[in-house]
Amino acid sequence: MRQAFTLYLRLVSIRIRSQMQYRASFLLDVFSNAVVVGVSFLTLALVLQKFDGIGGWKLWEVAFLYGMVEIAFGLMDMVFSGFDPSFFGKRVRLGSFDQMLLKPVNIEIQVLSSEFVLRRLGRVLEGLIVLILAITNLDIQWTIVKGLYIPIVIGGMVCFFGGLFIVGATITFWTVESIEAINILTYGGNEMMAYPIHIYPDWLRRFFTFIVPGVFMNYYPALYILGKADPFHMPAFATWLAPFVGLATLAASLRFWRFGLAHYQSTGT
Amino acid sequence: MNPIITVQNLSKHFKIPRHQRGAFGALRNLFNRQFSLARAVDGVSFEIQSGALVGYIGPNGAGKSTTLKMLTGLLAPTHGQLCVNGYVPWRERRQYVGKIGAVFGQRTTLWWDLPVVESLTMLQHIYQISKNRFENNLYEFRKLLELDEFLDTPVRSLSLGQRMRADLCAALLHDPPLLFLDEPTIGLDVVAKERIRQFILHINQQHGTTIILTTHDLSDVEKLCERVMIIDKGRVLFDGDLNRLRQRFGGERQLQVDFAEAYPDLNQPGAKIVRQEGNRVTYQFDRRVVSASDLITRISSQYRILDLQVGDPAIEDTVRRIYEERLLEKVG
Amino acid sequence: MPAMHETVSPKYLALTRLAIQRQFTYRAATLAGLATNFFFGLLRAAVMIALFGARQQVAGMSLADAITYTGVSQACIAFLSLFSWFEIIYSVDSGQVGADLLKPMDYFLFWGAQDLGRALVNLALRGVTVMIFYAIVFDISYPASPGQWAAVLLSLGLAWLVSFSWRFLANLTAFWTPNSLGVCRLLYSLSWFMSGFMMPLRILPEWFARLCALTPFPSMINTPIEVYLGLVSGAQLGQALLTQAAWGLGLILLGKLALRSGVRRLVIQGG
Repeated sequence: MRQAFTLYLRLVSIRIRSQMQYRASFLLDVFSNAVVVGVSFLTLALVLQKFDGIGGWKLWEVAFLYGMVEIAFGLMDMVFSGFDPSFFGKRVRLGSFDQMLLKPVNIEIQVLSSEFVLRRLGRVLEGLIVLILAITNLDIQWTIVKGLYIPIVIGGMVCFFGGLFIVGATITFWTVESIEAINILTYGGNEMMAYPIHIYPDWLRRFFTFIVPGVFMNYYPALYILGKADPFHMPAFATWLAPFVGLATLAASLRFWRFGLAHYQSTGT
Repeated sequence: MNPIITVQNLSKHFKIPRHQRGAFGALRNLFNRQFSLARAVDGVSFEIQSGALVGYIGPNGAGKSTTLKMLTGLLAPTHGQLCVNGYVPWRERRQYVGKIGAVFGQRTTLWWDLPVVESLTMLQHIYQISKNRFENNLYEFRKLLELDEFLDTPVRSLSLGQRMRADLCAALLHDPPLLFLDEPTIGLDVVAKERIRQFILHINQQHGTTIILTTHDLSDVEKLCERVMIIDKGRVLFDGDLNRLRQRFGGERQLQVDFAEAYPDLNQPGAKIVRQEGNRVTYQFDRRVVSASDLITRISSQYRILDLQVGDPAIEDTVRRIYEERLLEKVG
Repeated sequence: MPAMHETVSPKYLALTRLAIQRQFTYRAATLAGLATNFFFGLLRAAVMIALFGARQQVAGMSLADAITYTGVSQACIAFLSLFSWFEIIYSVDSGQVGADLLKPMDYFLFWGAQDLGRALVNLALRGVTVMIFYAIVFDISYPASPGQWAAVLLSLGLAWLVSFSWRFLANLTAFWTPNSLGVCRLLYSLSWFMSGFMMPLRILPEWFARLCALTPFPSMINTPIEVYLGLVSGAQLGQALLTQAAWGLGLILLGKLALRSGVRRLVIQGG
C-alpha cells in the first residue's frame, strides 16, 4: 500500500510539473477556470442583493454555503480527475485501461493518478475567496470546534463528490452514451447544495436526504456554524454526519467499482 | 520439464444481444432479451515450454487477441483451465503481471504526455527493479533498439516504429521470463519490421525469454518462430513446427494479374485461381512445381496485362487451404 | 461577405442535412441530456420561486414568467451550444483546418451550415421536449397570438445567428494562440454572464442590465425569451429584433475580418 502511495505521488507530481511547464498558459487556464465559475457567483450575488436574500437567508449566509461547496468540488475535480466519467469512459473505449491492468500496481491508484487537472484549482480559489468574503461579512460566534469543523466538512464533501465520480466512471464499463446523466448528481448536487435546501420542493429535498444524502454535507454544518434554526427538526447529530456520509459514499462507490471491474474482466466490454 | 504455459480446453464465449425485428421487436426485446453466442475462443488447448518462440496466427476475428487477453489476465475465460508461469492470470493479477511483459501493437504501455525516459524511470519504480539491473538493461536496450534519438521525446510525438521500440524496451526492463506480443510489426515499414524481428530473436536467444507472438504477417512467423499455431473461428487448426508448415504450404505463392480485358478462359496449368474480381485474377501456385517467372512469361505471352504482383498468400488463403485439406493436426 | 446566391448553394444545404442526420444518431446521449435539462430546470425554478417569495411581480415579470424563463433557457442550452463549442479549435489542433480551408466553400458558411443543422434538431427535439415537461409540471406562460409565435421564431433564429457568429469569433483565437481553449472559455463565460442565461436581466440590478445591453450577449438568450413572454411588444419588439439582427451582422463582419487576418497568419506560421 505504501508503495502504491509513493507511486501515486510520483505520477501526480509529474503531471503537475508537465502542466505547469508553460507558465503563462497554465496561469491563464487557472484564471479562466476561476472566472468561469466566478460569474455564477457574481450573478447570484447581484440577484440576492436585489432580492435581499432567498428563503430567509441573506447573501453572505448563502455565500458561506456556496464557498464551502465550491472549494470541495474544485478539490475533488482536481484529485479525482482520473475518475471523471468523461475521461475514464474514453480510456476504457480506447483500450488504455487495459494497459493499467497489465501493470503490477493497485488499479484504483493508477486510475487516480492517470489525470490531475491542475487548472481546476481555479474553482478552489474562487470558492476560497467567496468563503473568506462570507466569513468576514458575517457575524459568526466562533468556537474552536466550529473552526476545525469547516475543513472536515470540506473534506467530507470531497469524498462525497469523489464517490459520485467513481460511480460515474464505473457506469462507463457498461455504457458511455448516457453518462451525461451522472452530471445530475455531481454538478446538479453541487448547484443544489449552494442554496439553503429548504427552498426546494419536498420530493427533491427527500431525494437528497435519503437517496443521495447531500443535505448533510454542508447545509446542516452551516446551520450549526451560523447559528440558525433547523426548519426540519432533524436530530442534533445531523450536524455531525457530514464526514461520515462522505466516507460512506466513497466506500459504497468503491464497492460498486469493484463490481464493475469484475464485470469488465469477464466481458471485456 | 514443466511447461511454462498450460492451456486446456480454453473457451471464451460472448453473449451478443440480438435485436428483434418487426413491429413489436423493441417491446419483445424489453421482456425477452435474445442473445446469440459468439464463440471467440472455442476449446483451445496447448502447452508451451520455457524459452520457446511461438507464433499464434490467424485471420481477423479468429480469436488471437481474445486468447492473448486471457493469457495476460485481462479477460476471464468462460470455460477451461489456464496456468501461466505458475499463476492463474486473471485471478492473481497483481503478482502475475509483475512477471510478464506485454506489448499490444495498437496501444502503448507508456504515459502519453511524458518523455520516454521518464516513463521508463517510472516503470523502474513500478516493477521495483534494482538500480543496477535497470541501468544495465536500459543500456543494452538503448543500443539494440537505438532509443537515444527519441529518449527525451514525449510518447505522443513518436512515430509508430519508435513507439514500438520504446514499448519493447519498457516490456523487458524487469527481465520477465515471458513476453506477449500482439501484432508487434503492424503498420511498420519493411526496415522497421526487420529491426523489431532482430530484437525479438535476440531476446529469445540471449535471455531465454519465452515469447508468444500474434501476427497477421506470415513473414514475421517465417523469420522468427520455430513453432506456429494457426487459429480460426476460435479453434486451433494447426499446431506444429514451422518446417511442417513450410513443407505443406511454404512453396505457395500468389500472383495477382490485372488483365486488360475480360478474357473467357484464364486457367493456367500448375496454378489455381483463388479469387477473381472483374479483370483482377489471383492465382495460387506452388513454386516448387512452377516458378513465378515461368508463369508470368506464359501469361504475358497469351494475354494483354496491365499490372501484376507476386507475393505470399494471405493468411486467409492458407487457412482456407487447411480447411480444404482438413488439416487438424497437433505436433507435440 | 458571401454572395447571396452562394449562401443558398446546395452544398451548404447538404452540410446542414448531414448535420441533422448526425444529430439524430446521438439518441441515448440526447435522453441523458434531457434528464439533465429537466433536473437543472427544476433547481432553477425552485430558486426562482424562493426568490419571488410573496412578490407577485418583479420588474414586470410574474412568477409564471420567471419559471418559464428558466425552462426556455434550459431549452436553449443545446440549441445554442451554450456550454461548449470548440470545433474550430479542435480542427486547428488536429491539423484538419488545413483541409477545411482548402474546400471550395466559404469557411464561415461551412461551419454555419453544420451548426444550423445541429441547432435545428436540438431545438425541435430537446428544446420542445423540455418545454413540454415544463408545461406539465408548472404553470408556464405562452405567447398570446400567432403573430407573437412568429416573432418568437424569428427571434430564436436571430439568436442562433448571434450565438454562432460569436462562437465562430471566439474559436478563431486558435489562429493566434496555442492557449485558445483557455481564452475561448473566458469569452464564453463572459457571454453566459451577460446573456441572461443564469438569471433574467430584468431582475438583476439596473446598471448591470444596461451594461449588458452594450454587448451582443443579451441577444442570444434574454431577448428571445422576453419576446416569448411578451415582455416586449409593439415598437419595443421591433427594436429588440433589429438589435439582434444588427449584432448578428456586426459579428459576422468581425468574423470575416478576423478570418482573413487569421488565415494569413496561419499560412505564414505554417500552422
